[in-house]
Amino acid sequence: MAKTTSKSKQPAGRYSEVKSILNSIQGKTVPDYQGLKAFWLDYETFLSAVLYGQRMIAPGPHDDSADTAESEDGSGSCCGSKSEQNQSAGCWPSGGGRDDNGGGRDTSRSEQSGLIKGLRGLAPFDGSVFPPLLWDAKRSATDSEISTIASWIDDGCPQDDVDDDEVSSEKETLRLQASKLVALAAGEMKHSVAEKPTNTMQRSVKGLRVRKEIGSMSEQEVQRLREAIACMQTYNAHWQDERSFDYWARIHASSCQHGWEQFLPWHRLYLYFFEQMLQDFDSQITLPYWAWSDYADVNRDTFNTEKLDQGILPERYGCWMTSEGVANLAATGLLTDKQLSGLEKLAKSRQVYNSSARFLKAAGVDYMVELDPTTGGAQWTPPIAAIYAELLRINPLWFPNRWPGVIGSPTSYPTAEDINLLLETPNWAEFGGGPLDDHHFGYLEQVHNGMHNFSGGTNPNYPGRGDGKWTDLYNKLGIAQDPQNKDNPPYGWMVDNRITAFDPIFWAHHSNVDRIWAQWQSTHPNGNPQALDGVLAPWSLTVADALSTRTLGYEYMRNSYHYPTSSQVGMQNFNSEKAGVSQQTLDVFRKAEVRLHRVQRANLPNASIRIYLNDSSADANTKMQGNDNFVGEIQTFHGTCMGGPGHCDMPLDKTRQFDQRMLHHNEPRNYRIDATDAVNRMLAEGAQDISVHLVAVGLDGQPVDNALYLDGVSLNFMD
Amino acid sequence: MSNETTTSNTTFKIHPAIGIARLGNSDEFYLTPEQPGALPIACDADGVEQQDKNGQPVRVSSFKESGDLSKVKRQAARFRIFAYDGDDQKTGEEIKIGGKYHFVVTSATTAPTPVEGTVKDIQWTVHLANKKSTWYDFMETDGMHGYSASHPLRNPTVTQPDLRRQMITDPGPQTVTLKSPRAAFSKGENPGYPQTFPPEDIKPNPIDTLGELMANKQGDNPRLVVLGGRGNSGSTKTPVITSFVNNDGWYDDISDGPVTAKIAYTYPFTYTNSDGKKVTETKNGVMEVQVPAWVVVGYPRYVPQMLDMITLDEAMYDVFVRNFQYAPRIFGVAPYDRASNTPKTEEETALWLNDAGFNPDYYPKFYEEIWPILRRPDLYQYTYDFDFFSGGDPHNTGTGGNLDQRALSTPPSGGQDPYRQNREYVIRIMREPLQTNLYFNTGKSKINPDHKPRLMPMLCGNNPISNTSPDKFLIMTRTQLFFLRQWAVGKFVNECSEWDESDPNCTNPWSEPPTTGEGIDRGVLSNLLGGAFCPGGEFSWIIINPGIYSAPYRIKHTTYQAGALSLPKPIADIDGSPAPNIAAGMEPGDLTKYIGIPWQADFHECTTQNIDVTYDNWNSIYLSSTGDPAEQQIAYDIPWWPAHRPIIIQTEQGQQVFWASGIPDNYAGDLEMVQQWNNLGFLIEPVDPASGLPAFYQIERNNAALGPPTASGQRTLGRSKRSTRYDR
Repeated sequence: MAKTTSKSKQPAGRYSEVKSILNSIQGKTVPDYQGLKAFWLDYETFLSAVLYGQRMIAPGPHDDSADTAESEDGSGSCCGSKSEQNQSAGCWPSGGGRDDNGGGRDTSRSEQSGLIKGLRGLAPFDGSVFPPLLWDAKRSATDSEISTIASWIDDGCPQDDVDDDEVSSEKETLRLQASKLVALAAGEMKHSVAEKPTNTMQRSVKGLRVRKEIGSMSEQEVQRLREAIACMQTYNAHWQDERSFDYWARIHASSCQHGWEQFLPWHRLYLYFFEQMLQDFDSQITLPYWAWSDYADVNRDTFNTEKLDQGILPERYGCWMTSEGVANLAATGLLTDKQLSGLEKLAKSRQVYNSSARFLKAAGVDYMVELDPTTGGAQWTPPIAAIYAELLRINPLWFPNRWPGVIGSPTSYPTAEDINLLLETPNWAEFGGGPLDDHHFGYLEQVHNGMHNFSGGTNPNYPGRGDGKWTDLYNKLGIAQDPQNKDNPPYGWMVDNRITAFDPIFWAHHSNVDRIWAQWQSTHPNGNPQALDGVLAPWSLTVADALSTRTLGYEYMRNSYHYPTSSQVGMQNFNSEKAGVSQQTLDVFRKAEVRLHRVQRANLPNASIRIYLNDSSADANTKMQGNDNFVGEIQTFHGTCMGGPGHCDMPLDKTRQFDQRMLHHNEPRNYRIDATDAVNRMLAEGAQDISVHLVAVGLDGQPVDNALYLDGVSLNFMD
Repeated sequence: MSNETTTSNTTFKIHPAIGIARLGNSDEFYLTPEQPGALPIACDADGVEQQDKNGQPVRVSSFKESGDLSKVKRQAARFRIFAYDGDDQKTGEEIKIGGKYHFVVTSATTAPTPVEGTVKDIQWTVHLANKKSTWYDFMETDGMHGYSASHPLRNPTVTQPDLRRQMITDPGPQTVTLKSPRAAFSKGENPGYPQTFPPEDIKPNPIDTLGELMANKQGDNPRLVVLGGRGNSGSTKTPVITSFVNNDGWYDDISDGPVTAKIAYTYPFTYTNSDGKKVTETKNGVMEVQVPAWVVVGYPRYVPQMLDMITLDEAMYDVFVRNFQYAPRIFGVAPYDRASNTPKTEEETALWLNDAGFNPDYYPKFYEEIWPILRRPDLYQYTYDFDFFSGGDPHNTGTGGNLDQRALSTPPSGGQDPYRQNREYVIRIMREPLQTNLYFNTGKSKINPDHKPRLMPMLCGNNPISNTSPDKFLIMTRTQLFFLRQWAVGKFVNECSEWDESDPNCTNPWSEPPTTGEGIDRGVLSNLLGGAFCPGGEFSWIIINPGIYSAPYRIKHTTYQAGALSLPKPIADIDGSPAPNIAAGMEPGDLTKYIGIPWQADFHECTTQNIDVTYDNWNSIYLSSTGDPAEQQIAYDIPWWPAHRPIIIQTEQGQQVFWASGIPDNYAGDLEMVQQWNNLGFLIEPVDPASGLPAFYQIERNNAALGPPTASGQRTLGRSKRSTRYDR
């Protein structure tokens, strides 16, 4: 990654070099550039500059086509906002349309950038619309100047100071700071937890993608999901466009399997294919899950068949107001000053509501419908529709027709204990449902049914409910009571399996179903449906194809804390800072696991790696037995490697398609060790947080610094 | 050069693709300007351009013989040949005598062989003819999409094909070379060719020539100069004018025809002789220039520096953009590049025409593509008095004017768009394609619904006269309207504030003589009238029919028999001779035959028109019914083409006068124009803008013949001579 060969005259950095090239080409006269003037001088301006409709630096890639982990940037900060993709493709990233060179998918970011097209004199800067860039300049750019700028763009437009958003630059920093590395490898300095999204870290160690609990996700991770969903919503008018959110929601209506053994496998694939679509938007996105039982106590407490919508869902699916939202609503001219000031109050408090009805009540806005003359049913009045649109813009995970609360009886809401019982179900049929010729519901699906009903809930503003006000209103306005009414149905959409998947929480709900199945599978490895060759339409995969989350590329974790390490220096003693494990995670985790990522093996001495928690003084002399901090010990088994020159080197990354060979003999290996008991011991001793410590010792029990080379250590919690 | 074949595909083209010569009754002449609104170019007696010490052309600012204000100098069309190598059809170079180019030698005994030859001479061939008297009556838009079998002919009593063929003025083709540099399209000048000329006794002015040809060299560049007729028109009967456009018995000396060229060159030919020795001989070859041209003769351009509201270049550009993939970046299929817009078969072309549209991401350039449209109306105050009653200047381009140049040229910048309202005002009053019969724009103003701005351009359309297939008002071309719409929403570039800031001429992209063939093609045509076509100036509506072109700007040539130019189908069918066939191409006289005869009649009448605007959907009413209960609504005094036919002009002293004063406003005046066109004045811009002279003022009017000009105050309203359609 490091362009150490760059003949930079500007040791200050590559962005400075780009600036000085452009300055020198432009010379003294700077034309207007549509008011931007010398747009390259300010970093933020440069990255977002649009000159007469041409984005000067194309937005960064979101897909997997980038061939190294480095190019996957953690935050998208360099790439501009995803909502600013070029107009022709909308917000969805694409490989670009055809261009003058007949090029297709493989155009690089620099080639898509107006600046590079302009400097090269390519369309539309070929004189057909605009002259080549720079305009009114002293001279034109040389080929080598253009390629310097292009490679800066292709490398993600790094700023001069180290871009701490890049995994790569983190590694780069480590590499540069040799003394720090030695100190880290000797245990004199502590490794810290990466702030990157979990999936970025997983990718950097070639791990599976992780579906996390919605509350455990970082704000950044949630934001990516929101952007993806919001983008998908923009394609809904194109009803056969697979980028459209509604396209996916309709698949449930037309193809879903319920009440028999295909329920779990069918929905696993449904989620998988939807998630693939999200990953086309941003490869780092995975679906979150909604751990129902986290909210069991509160939901059993607030259960109320009078006030229908008192239920609690994950906050990130709720609605709230922002001051920008109030300003937007004010601009519509549809709301009264009183309503706006009510909304303004909510914007200040940032209170999150799970029910649209409760939100409106808190804002002092009367929920109201009117006659939809085309259907004869109800429709939101313009002010309500405007507020809902704004709430959806603020949080695309929210859904207006969702009134969580009642579910028959409070005990129907599953607690952690209920889930444990469920997981102890001994056989597939009871757990997952009966086969075609003897079909019946499985226990898991029955729990799932209840949660559909709970999360959708009952519309408090419907005829026959409450004080009869709505019955009167419907009669007065001549509105027909229609159970399928779009705006004002009797129940939330989650309740109706025809339209349930239009509510974004559907996906988190089913992710939890899938997680519980995966959990059950891990303890019931032979618990499979009867007909493994059943095809799960509309896909051409079978039940057997859906059995392993691993082959589908993901696993479930409540949370994961990753410590990147440098494989450049032999690790003798790994010490880490406290992971910052959330209290919720520590409350509910079922299993804790320490993972050692990409441990090298060629011609390394065998060694023993001891793992401790919360003891940064651990060394070769620290006792293992009877030590609460001790997690366990791993023995490596490498042997010597012999062969031609390079035989014992690390393999190349698997870059080719169709490479079906077995694991390379020197592919770095991974170790996992169960730390559940040790974590529980720490918690029992009053610990609030967990740190991880490794000690490498030779077979002779003495410390070794030449046996352990690895890319990372992680502490993972599953529930 | 033995086996090298790679560079043999040199294409030679004649430029301009369509040249324009103009009538004059003087022996003196000058050359056609090749830039929009430029003065003509001075030349010597052989037609060689005169240049100043910077190599720039010397401009002509006197259009009559010195000392004789009744003698209008002719304007010569000049042609040159460009060589284009390989696929690059844009940046050719003008060929030179003595220059070396790649030719292909073909003979009876050898396969086509590429050779490098040295140009020795050019054989230029031009064939002019005038077929107006043999053609159909001009009936406004009727015929634009084909003539019905019952469409009346001019001179309808002459139906015998050979007699009618005699009514074609056809002097036959003429060829000139550097060795034999002069020829004339005159009676008796074409031995062996069955020439036909109008009867010798036509009155008032007989016709014995359609023009001349001259071959010359500008430095080493071989060039052709074509001169047109003398402005003579006459009738076989007692000369009277009874129609602005169809007058039986009349002839004039307007003409048009193909311009072709052969390049004579020498090349070394090496062979092994019978002694086994290698011998190199110099051989002669001749190669036809692959892409020929056309020449048309028009009437004098009395205001050479003032452009028409739609120039012929703009009208044709629109045709080529929308039919010939001429600018796929502007009009085509996404992604609007050349590769995606190159249909190769008829089917592909049909699909392209279905699919193509304007590129929503095209950013027009303000001074090249927007400002010409907005600037011209302001200039017409020097050839017409728009606002007769209020005396205001509705087209003011100064600060605060409707067409404030500074406001309209400022694109959105830095997130601000302070002049959007100014642009929206303009776009709102531009006439859209479906508003061709509407005088006012009603109901479009959000601010004041009662405000009824007149739609622009407030000029006559292709048929403001009759109510059959009406096309009452002029509409800017579709491409121009597209530019304006982009501009209105802020999608445009002010090239002066971006890439041309350091260029003092950035507001006029055409300030320098063109250097490319395409630049010459377009520059020449920019001084011709591009609408309305009723019938038009130099051309009628046939010129915007894509069917007559083989490529953008290139008239399709057809083959024809000497002395047997085609006649209208009803006559041709009588003796089985070939009828005109647009698909096959054009022959001499085929482009000018559509316009009025004699030209002076239509020219004189093309001042203003009273237009019946009672209905905007004319074809749905019963025209023959009497007692139609509606009251007729008239749009009074709508100008035709103020840049081509001045109406009210200013003298050097700034006095407003009728340009054609001395010639009455009636058919007798039309006849008078046949004799007086040469006595009218020309209008020019002052060389020094600070001189205090009017921006356009009259020179060289022959008051001795016409009397002193009449001041415009004596003007009367309500003249609507042409509102009776086709009175025969």
